[in-house]
Amino acid sequence: MALSLTKKSDAAAVTVPPWHPNIRNASILPDTKVVRTAFFVNGFAIVLTVSLAMYLGIQEWKLLEVDKQINYWQKRIDADTKESAQDVALYQLFKAQEAKTNEVDNFIHSRPVVSEMLLRLGAITPKKIAFDSLDFREGSVSIKATIKGAPDRAAGDASGYEKLIKNDKELGPLFSEVNLLSMVTNQTSGRLQIEILCLYKKGVRKA
Amino acid sequence: MSNEELLIFVRKNVVAVSCAVLIIVICVAMYYRKDLLPDAEKVLADKTKQGELLAANKEDANQLKEQYAQLVSENDAIASRMIHVGQLAENMQYFYKIESETGTKLSDPHQGSAAAPPKGQKPNFVSVGFTVSAKGDYGQLLNLLRKLENGDHYSRINTLRLTPTGEFRGGLMQMNVGMDLLAVQSE
Repeated sequence: MALSLTKKSDAAAVTVPPWHPNIRNASILPDTKVVRTAFFVNGFAIVLTVSLAMYLGIQEWKLLEVDKQINYWQKRIDADTKESAQDVALYQLFKAQEAKTNEVDNFIHSRPVVSEMLLRLGAITPKKIAFDSLDFREGSVSIKATIKGAPDRAAGDASGYEKLIKNDKELGPLFSEVNLLSMVTNQTSGRLQIEILCLYKKGVRKA
Repeated sequence: MSNEELLIFVRKNVVAVSCAVLIIVICVAMYYRKDLLPDAEKVLADKTKQGELLAANKEDANQLKEQYAQLVSENDAIASRMIHVGQLAENMQYFYKIESETGTKLSDPHQGSAAAPPKGQKPNFVSVGFTVSAKGDYGQLLNLLRKLENGDHYSRINTLRLTPTGEFRGGLMQMNVGMDLLAVQSE
């Protein structure tokens, strides 16, 4: 007899008629399915609910914290408002007083101190140069002077004097231009007369 | 589906149904409260800014009272050095006093009109122009000039012309000064 290569199937078993009547009530028998679909459904529902509840809770907690901070700042604002308003009013008064001081300061420093310029000019001017006139105007200073000595050497002295004023550490920074305007020989004395024009720099605060 | 069937369905799926109801409640709550946090954060930012500003005001004004008092007393001192536009005699007196102190000879000191304030500005003080001519030696005139510049009143020299009067150097000189004194309007 040849061996069968197939295993007895359950179907084959079913075909075997039961040896006793099936009296089981399937609806009241315990569930033999290890994991039911309801577990996944419930699990998913619970996870989703908890997640949403947590999200809402976090948002509410944040809102609570923000409200606390708003209350904190509101209390500080309420406490500081009156004092701050007084300080602001006082500051306005302070500014008005400061404006007075600044006005005086600007007035004083709007022009150079002529006496100091005069002294400085006297200090740096060589002995062979004698002033004929000094004319301090609002935008310039005109220096008219006579130079002792022969006219040919005096011309060099005049040019040197112009440079001396231009490069002076005190007078130089005050002027934008220092120009030798004229050199004329006085026919009577034979001496060279010069005129130097110094233009003030604009916007320079005077000491 | 009848009510009975629905009840059975609920009883059978009590967890899932409860979760579904909760989810709906949470979603509704989230929907209605979604703007509260951003709005509150905006309010907080405004309050913080306002609070910090007030706090900064307080901090900045820490010594403001003392500084203000100091400034007021300094301005009182400044005010005492002002001339009054309308007090011509007193103003002239100032120049004659300097004349006698320096030994120079003043001729024709003259008070000009008060300078008009720049358009749109309302300054506290006005500058009043004066012209002064003086004769003296160089030292006397320099002394006069320094007293004018650093005297009792605030001044600025606008123009100055210094010329010798005689033919010989080292003699008398003539000084013409155009200057401003700072003044308050007379009440």
